Amino acid sequence: MKFWRQTGFWLPLVLVFLWGGAVLVLRQDTIRETAFTVLMFMALASSLNILLGYTGYVSFGHIVFFGLGGYTGFYLLSEQGWPLYLAAVGGGALSGLIALLVGLAVLRLRGAYFALATIGINEAARAFVSNFGPFGGATGMFVNFSAYEKYGGAGQALWTTFTFLWITTLVVLVVSYLVKHSRFGLGLQAIREDEDAAMVMGVHAPRAKTITYVISAFFPGIIGTLYFFKNGNVEPGDAFQLHMSIEMLVMVMLGGMGTVLGPMVGATAYQGLRGYLLTSPIFKDLHLAVAGLILLLIILFVPAGAVGWVRGRIPALRKVLE
Amino acid sequence: MKFLKSCPVILLAVLGLLLPGAVSSALAAEKTVVIGFTASRTGKLNVEGMRQINGLNLWVEQVNKAGGVKLPDGTQVKFVAKDYDDESKKERVQELYTKLISTDKADFLISPYSSGLADAAAVIAQQYNKIMITTGAASDSTYKKGYTLVYQAYTPASRYLTGALDLLGKLDPSAKKMAIVHEKDKFSTDVVNALKAYGETKGYQIALFEGYDSGTTDFAPFINKIPPGVDAIMGGGHFADTTTFAKQLYEKKVKTKMIALLVAPPEPKFAELGEACISVIGSSQWEPLAKYSPETAKAANLEYFGPTVADFVSSYKGKFNEDPSYHSAGGYVAGLILQKAILKSGSTDTAKVKAAMDAMDLMTFYGRIKFAADPKNHGLQVGHEMVYIQWFKDKQGKPKKEVVWPETGKTASAFVCPVR
Repeated sequence: MKFWRQTGFWLPLVLVFLWGGAVLVLRQDTIRETAFTVLMFMALASSLNILLGYTGYVSFGHIVFFGLGGYTGFYLLSEQGWPLYLAAVGGGALSGLIALLVGLAVLRLRGAYFALATIGINEAARAFVSNFGPFGGATGMFVNFSAYEKYGGAGQALWTTFTFLWITTLVVLVVSYLVKHSRFGLGLQAIREDEDAAMVMGVHAPRAKTITYVISAFFPGIIGTLYFFKNGNVEPGDAFQLHMSIEMLVMVMLGGMGTVLGPMVGATAYQGLRGYLLTSPIFKDLHLAVAGLILLLIILFVPAGAVGWVRGRIPALRKVLE
Repeated sequence: MKFLKSCPVILLAVLGLLLPGAVSSALAAEKTVVIGFTASRTGKLNVEGMRQINGLNLWVEQVNKAGGVKLPDGTQVKFVAKDYDDESKKERVQELYTKLISTDKADFLISPYSSGLADAAAVIAQQYNKIMITTGAASDSTYKKGYTLVYQAYTPASRYLTGALDLLGKLDPSAKKMAIVHEKDKFSTDVVNALKAYGETKGYQIALFEGYDSGTTDFAPFINKIPPGVDAIMGGGHFADTTTFAKQLYEKKVKTKMIALLVAPPEPKFAELGEACISVIGSSQWEPLAKYSPETAKAANLEYFGPTVADFVSSYKGKFNEDPSYHSAGGYVAGLILQKAILKSGSTDTAKVKAAMDAMDLMTFYGRIKFAADPKNHGLQVGHEMVYIQWFKDKQGKPKKEVVWPETGKTASAFVCPVR
């Protein structure tokens, strides 16, 4: 059946479309900022899920693509004067290219070896950028406040950045669905279950994994550019934070890996919870402890993630909750 | 009689006419100003962040206790601080500052701790036309971005170690050769780049200029590269690496006239190095030993504003049961700057307070406060000077720190690093 006739295809898209649209209509800055954080992690977690969820390859250092792409995009817009849209796509393209080159080597590794290698790549990228003159070395780069004038002033620039992120998130969800339900995606899922058996059955595992790695690296590059443009500066310490990689993994696990809706649910729940606890008068001094406890309980009792749990309990919903 | 009977009625009528005015003027006489900021209550910057909050909260308490700030129209301005935890991370800083401005109706802002986080907050402050005083954020670059409402309380990173070079010139005019070994992060790199440029203009030969990665614990490769006969070794980064570097310089018996390092030497914990800390010089934004007073202000032809050093130290110790660090002083002085600007402008209006900030030039317990008003560096701190401490031995042979620079604030004269 054609994918556009599937409820499972439309459900996440409609939810994100309505939510982002409501933010744009309401035009409230506080809501926009909260939505930006959640959408950013939703798109990052969904990108990671394309690799982690469909091939089973755990990338602990996936944030490297956010950092490298962000740096490249920021360089293109601040030093070369590219418009934000093109610079972001340029950042994504560079991330994809790096993933292609790195993937050819590290995707030969499996399990814990691959996971460790991805951490090493992140650290190597951080060290490289800290010494790379055109990217500002250890001090990074910044844009002058007047750079926002091109986009109608800082206020409008923040709305433009949000709109671009919203569209990017929708595209990530479409790509995630299409990968999952394609012949190519079935090959990936076969790799996830048993890579050797998949190869025997005719799946070209190295090529399939590399393509997946490139797809999952492209979007973090775009998101990194948007995030650093919004902040007005980029420096190595902010671009390659390993804890963000771990958080992305947690969000995918929380929502349900290997599903389109899962990372979306995981990111919303995780970031929504953190945002509430941080600003709650009761929990604001205990937010890390409370968040940790809730996560522990979920992972202990709902290991398949929220979407996986619902799909397991209510088979009728399997077509809807992809 | 009839008149007497109607007297109370007339009296009440008169009171009725007067009271609403009196009540409304009494109500108008008090205004609460919300100061918003995010603080690193958790995460890697929580020690510095908490001290900064303590300093600011102490100022809020003291200024309100003293009746607030009285404006020319009789309005008594009181202050309330509203903060959220940024977890020492940049991710949510813009979101939280937007919330502070839009939801909590913050009138003025204080920056988060550290330059990276302050940079993210500055975009929001400028966008919403709010004055933000940065404290704990030393990077120069923030003030070169075209902001008009962001003001720096700290001495900028570019002047963190330049005073040590001036001190070296005074200590030994023949000194001409120096080595710089520094952590490769934004702050330390900013500091040493400026130090190198300053050294070169002063005719110093930079015999070694090397960066090390954050978290380095073995400095032998860097120490071995230091050429013999250097007059000064400068650099370092943050507490852990700088302390280890100082220790290994001592163990390797490196001969030099001056060792001046970042961040770690002013910390009391640095004394745990014992002999290795003796003679090491460190730069600090402020020290309880600093001699800023109404007298030094008068000598510099400046107005003195706020508590004395002794008053600040004793009130801080009394409230928090610990010695104030320069982070605490930075938090307090951010509030003090705002207080003075509101007092001077006689208003809480952003444009008027900004004009007062631009024209500000005064002395406080923290030192001199003056901001660059030119568009290229607007808000950059140009008045405040770093304080340089050096570790001495007291009569019992225990390490003891003294302020050795600037001349006006010193408590002891610096000495050349002894042969180890």
